[in-house]
Amino acid sequence: CKKDLDVNPRERILESNYYKTPEQAFSSLISVYDQFGNQSGGYLTKLNIFSSGSDDHYAGGDSPSDLGDLQAMNNYTVSSLSGAPSYLWGKGFTGVYRANIFLQKVEEIQMDASTKNRYIAEAKALRAIFYFDLVRIFKNIPLILKPVETSDWYNVLQVPPADVYKQIELDLKEAIPNLPLTVPRNTEGGRLTQGAAHAVLGKVYLWQEKFADAATEFADVNGPSPGTTPSKYGYVLMSKFEDLYKLANKFNSESILEISYNSTSNMGWGNVGSGEGNVAGIMSGPRNYNILIPDKAPDYVSGWSVMPFTKEFFALIHFDPRNKPTVANLDSLEKAGIVTYKHANDNTGYFVEKYAGRVSTKANSGQLELNFPYNLYEIRLADTYLMEAEAVLKSGGAVGAGSRAYAALNAVRARVGLKPVDVTMDNIIKERRIELAAEGQRWFDLVRWGLAPAKLAFKGFVAGKNETLPIPNGELNNTKIVQSKEWGGTK
Amino acid sequence: QEVTATGKVTDKSDGKPLPGVTITLQGTTKATLTDASGNFRIAVPSAGSKLIISQLGMVSQTITVTNSSSVNIALETDVTALGEVVVVGYGTQKKSNVTGSISSVKAKDLESMPINRVEQALQGRTSGVTIATNNGQPGSAATVRIRGYTTFAKDGNNNPLWVVDGVIVDNGGIGYLNQSDIESIEVLKDAASQAIYGARAANGVIIVTTKRGKSGLLQINYNGFYGTSAAAKTLDLLNASEYATLRNEAAKNTDPNATLPFANPAALGKGTDWQDIIFNNDARRQTHEFSIAGGGEKSTFYSSFGYIKQEGIVASPISKWNRANIRLNSTHKLAKWLTVGENLGYSHSVNSSLGNTNNEFGGPLSSAIGLDPTTPAIETNPDLISKPPYTTPNVLRDKSGNPFGLSPWVGQELINPLAYIQTKLGNYGWDHNIIGNAFAELQPIKDLVFRSTLGTKIAFYGDDAFNPVAYLNSSNIRTKNSFVRNWNNVLNYNFENTLSYSKTFGKHNANIIVGQGIYLDENVKTLNVTFNNIIANNFEEANLNYKPVSADRTADGNDGTVHKVNSLFSRISYNYDEKYLFTGIIRRDGSSRFGDNNKFGYFPSFSLGWVPTKENFWKENNVINFFKIRGGYGVTGNDQISNFAYNALVSSGRNYTFGTTDVSSIGWSPAAPSNPDLKWEETRQTTLGFDATIFTNFTLAFDVYKKKTVGVLQYPTPPSYLGVAGAPAQNIGDMENKGLELELGYRKTFGEFNLGVNGNVSFLKNKVTKLATGKLFIEDEAQSFQGMGNITRTGIGHSFNEFYGYETLGIFQNQAEIDSYVGPGGTKLQPNAKPGDVKFANLNGDNQIEAADRTYLGSPIPKYTYGLTINMAYKNFDFVVFGSGAGGNMIFQGLRRLDVTFANWQTDILNRWTPTNPSTTIPRVVEKDDNKNNTNFTRRYLEKGDYFRLKTLQLGYNIPKNVIQKIGAQKVRVYVMSENLFTITKYTGYDPEIGGTVFGVDKGIYPQARSFMVGLNVGF
Repeated sequence: CKKDLDVNPRERILESNYYKTPEQAFSSLISVYDQFGNQSGGYLTKLNIFSSGSDDHYAGGDSPSDLGDLQAMNNYTVSSLSGAPSYLWGKGFTGVYRANIFLQKVEEIQMDASTKNRYIAEAKALRAIFYFDLVRIFKNIPLILKPVETSDWYNVLQVPPADVYKQIELDLKEAIPNLPLTVPRNTEGGRLTQGAAHAVLGKVYLWQEKFADAATEFADVNGPSPGTTPSKYGYVLMSKFEDLYKLANKFNSESILEISYNSTSNMGWGNVGSGEGNVAGIMSGPRNYNILIPDKAPDYVSGWSVMPFTKEFFALIHFDPRNKPTVANLDSLEKAGIVTYKHANDNTGYFVEKYAGRVSTKANSGQLELNFPYNLYEIRLADTYLMEAEAVLKSGGAVGAGSRAYAALNAVRARVGLKPVDVTMDNIIKERRIELAAEGQRWFDLVRWGLAPAKLAFKGFVAGKNETLPIPNGELNNTKIVQSKEWGGTK
Repeated sequence: QEVTATGKVTDKSDGKPLPGVTITLQGTTKATLTDASGNFRIAVPSAGSKLIISQLGMVSQTITVTNSSSVNIALETDVTALGEVVVVGYGTQKKSNVTGSISSVKAKDLESMPINRVEQALQGRTSGVTIATNNGQPGSAATVRIRGYTTFAKDGNNNPLWVVDGVIVDNGGIGYLNQSDIESIEVLKDAASQAIYGARAANGVIIVTTKRGKSGLLQINYNGFYGTSAAAKTLDLLNASEYATLRNEAAKNTDPNATLPFANPAALGKGTDWQDIIFNNDARRQTHEFSIAGGGEKSTFYSSFGYIKQEGIVASPISKWNRANIRLNSTHKLAKWLTVGENLGYSHSVNSSLGNTNNEFGGPLSSAIGLDPTTPAIETNPDLISKPPYTTPNVLRDKSGNPFGLSPWVGQELINPLAYIQTKLGNYGWDHNIIGNAFAELQPIKDLVFRSTLGTKIAFYGDDAFNPVAYLNSSNIRTKNSFVRNWNNVLNYNFENTLSYSKTFGKHNANIIVGQGIYLDENVKTLNVTFNNIIANNFEEANLNYKPVSADRTADGNDGTVHKVNSLFSRISYNYDEKYLFTGIIRRDGSSRFGDNNKFGYFPSFSLGWVPTKENFWKENNVINFFKIRGGYGVTGNDQISNFAYNALVSSGRNYTFGTTDVSSIGWSPAAPSNPDLKWEETRQTTLGFDATIFTNFTLAFDVYKKKTVGVLQYPTPPSYLGVAGAPAQNIGDMENKGLELELGYRKTFGEFNLGVNGNVSFLKNKVTKLATGKLFIEDEAQSFQGMGNITRTGIGHSFNEFYGYETLGIFQNQAEIDSYVGPGGTKLQPNAKPGDVKFANLNGDNQIEAADRTYLGSPIPKYTYGLTINMAYKNFDFVVFGSGAGGNMIFQGLRRLDVTFANWQTDILNRWTPTNPSTTIPRVVEKDDNKNNTNFTRRYLEKGDYFRLKTLQLGYNIPKNVIQKIGAQKVRVYVMSENLFTITKYTGYDPEIGGTVFGVDKGIYPQARSFMVGLNVGF
């Protein structure tokens, strides 16, 4: 009688039948990477959230109420009910969970030991990356290192941030020996390497103001002579700045940690964020883009005018050699009568060029404008050069001409034909802002340097509060999680 | 001296001959039946003998035989209806012996009513049932709740179980039924009667029985009507100059130095009335029903044909519905001990649906509400046409080549409805349904019947849609056309065998039935294909014979996971002298949806009745003619959850891209942990009631009940820090429904004037009593609205999905009020506020206004529902008034798009706060809503949902017999009627009747039409 009630489970794969083969171990590892590139169903990404909060960009969009979660970041009305905290929290902890379940299940899988060790190292490095973002963004978080038993679901407690940082360092250090020095670009580009893990570790030290340790890590990444010979991981600056943003140059010699996307996952309006197309392409494009003189006009797709640069930022980059590859200057195109576009919310006329959606880079399947294959840099060599210079400077190391720090800073400048400058905080700050514009670094840099209250006051940034985001309201319901005191809680 | 009495028996109400009426010689067992023409002949001992003329459901008469000619007897329907038979599931019971709570609607109540779907036949006609049409799109379903809610599981549902002639029909599929084929509808409301359907009965059971033919009489019937529909109400929206004035004010309120968007609002005049463009004031509808019924000694049949064609009142070209029905029911008595037969219904419908019928995101209704009146429907100004955006490729145009107006202010999903209609023109959905059964009945010995039934639902359905290349606005651009075809087929079946034995010994009457059933449903297979870039400009030209390159051809499909149920059941009914009554039921169901630990569930019930009026001590009197007390208790179940919800699964789609290959590597991770202990939701119900006939003409039925569902299936949303994609289903909630129901009937004949009144009223109180350990509320099934997030919450001590938001303390009149509005720490609570902004209550008393300050604001579930029918007939005229209503609930009035800053407003905004108009309820207008005046959900969005609707008003005239006999007709009746003539309500939206998961969330519902019709009813 019971047997008559059996039905074919169709595509469903039972957990009890899974985690048996090396292929399944790999698929499980991919699910951890998936969270690294995760975008929300509501078009939120770590990039556009913190860009909206920075002084380089406005949230933009069609109107002041379009993409409200980005507007809330832009004008600092973000609250525990806003979309951005909830997305970032979920993204991070889902990544942590997938790493944890992988680490738990992989133990039982019969497979080649060195491959298994590499997978484990990748999962640990990714877990460290997720926790690094979580602790920076939310400060008071729980530290979960294995899947939580159902009975303990509501008993999880937060830990001091220092404990989280300790675990991040531990995970990275355990991962490094088992990660490959380099990976074949065409087939494995994007997978974790020793160089990437060292770079993340350096950044983790930098955030904790362990400047000497940070300098050591960056020195390892940047190699014996920054700006001249490749490091042992093969890292060397691309000779032309603009080549960094060409689709053909994914995982180039300057790329250390890159978030990768593709054009073939057929993402549609109904499942935004579930596939691997990069939504930044359509979002940052000028709205109602309309070509008047086809020969002269760039082939941008009509976008949503999200993340327009501020006029102040444009003034800074305007006469820098990196202006053109960085800024899509719709203002001048329109004034020249070549194109028209909608002057939407907070319009400045300056849009992001680095990954602007173009007709020529559009996908061939799915909802075309949602599936741009642009990759995004999480860490690249110019970034680690500048961070090394900063770490050395702050740890009191040598920064004069001929020093490593001097060479690193000025290699970045020399690449675009700029004269050397001294290694000072002001010069580093300016260089990072221009070099890494629209790559999601600025807001974090300002917070790290303690400059956010001054630089972001015009947007409503409140010192001692907006350095972190509130813990999402949903996490406080029925749990032992306590809101940070900056956000009305007691933690 | 023996004489032969002859006569003819007719139905007093319509004059038709009554076949099969029993004529008994008083005091003997000698009896005969009337023939097909109602005639009888019987030999009696002498003149003066008495004959009893009796028929179930009619008042018996006694006549005295005279020597002379034949007699004509007109039988009257038994108003007390206690002689009636009630369908109880796998059998029938005499109404006077029924011990459960069952409401009935009979064919007579539905005759020539403008009913398109069977749900409408129940609305207002039965107590204990809350019904709201989902929307006014022709042919759309209604939400039916019997005695409240039993589940709040996200994949569970509260839909009743529909059983048509013994075949279980899924809730969505019930629309195939033709109302004129319905002989009766029985609603099993209490567990004592539902338990016979066990695991699927917790939401109530609705049994529909279709008509069958009668021996000897051929009945041919036609009923049809034709009419016109229009909207009963449109919204008061701002006209162009009002809109521009407010826009200027909003700009100024946002930035005092702003350039005003409109230089001269007054010059804009009225502007475009978008509602006028989408509403059709003359949407046509017609219904035709034709049936033939009859039979001979061995075989009887009923067959019918029905056709409905209806245009919607909104955007009629893309909102219309056609349905054709054929039915064939027959019975063949092959031998004294063997009867076979079938009930077979076929329907085919073709419809065009405008899409979003209660949704703020797109569709003609929400566009008409939101679009600014300053944009013309069609742009004719050549200066503007020659500039962007009108020069954008693929801007849609009218027949004369002028572009449809593109709003510079209002975008996103809000699209010029004329353009929208053009992109949907021709698209349609279709279905074929074959639902029926074949049965055989064996009666080897008297009193013992074995019945075997094989039932099936075979359905094919799908849709065709062409999406042309179009520029509708900056966020709705299609550069590649597509032609999409969906095909689905369903093959469900059930097989049931029952054995029933009835015995009467002395005054003891007993019936026992045992049965077995197997059921399979959700056996769906789906295919769909999409062709892009085909050589077609519109739906007419589109077809799959254009073969674009293979990259432009995509196909997909799905196989449903079937749902299986195995059952054993039994019922014992016993009564002593129809005075002491008992019914006991037990059913065991096994379901494929549960794990090994709990595959089977047991569902018992019992009920008792006592008829004191049959006791010797009860003297016959004219005050209380009949009185029955009844009560019962029972347990029913619900297995309406996902398949394999008990099991842990891993899911794909967690992909990432490696290398430069531009393809995804496939990642897998667990979907949710498992719960092998998952079991049935169990609903326990106690009912107490009575039925009575008083003062001969009044009938009364009264019920009180308490229904408790324990172990409501839930997927408790785990905290995000766990990182799990979902939670396993668990049995962790309890919910209670308590209620009271009253049905009252009155019927009397005053000479040639007949009067019938039926009324019913039901009260319902729904309360959640338990949630997962430590949880005070859940928001899994919550309704949400744009930037507000969730607007409902299911909390302990509150009803299912109650509204949840901020309380307001009025409007800040000046800066001093804002400055002095501080928390205990002296911090300003609303630092972003300006005079004219909403003052939110700081309910938790801390130093800020945030989510924790929200509270329960009211329930969307109607506290009471009622209905009233008045039938009158005088000579050849008849008149019906039927109305129903509901109340005690709140409606969320969400007609304005909050995320479209420049969307139009309803005229109540004219009373907004301004320095000179110190409103206390409506805040100032502003472009940047920093104070969250609009995006914080407050009571301002809630309105009382009470309404009474006059659903049907019908006046008929029967053409006199002497005229129609010339054409051989028995009956020719012409009538005029109206549907939804008026609605009394204070609600400011289109329509207070809003179905859906949660009653009462209005995001611009497609309103129900008001119709006027003329009809013809002919019988031969």
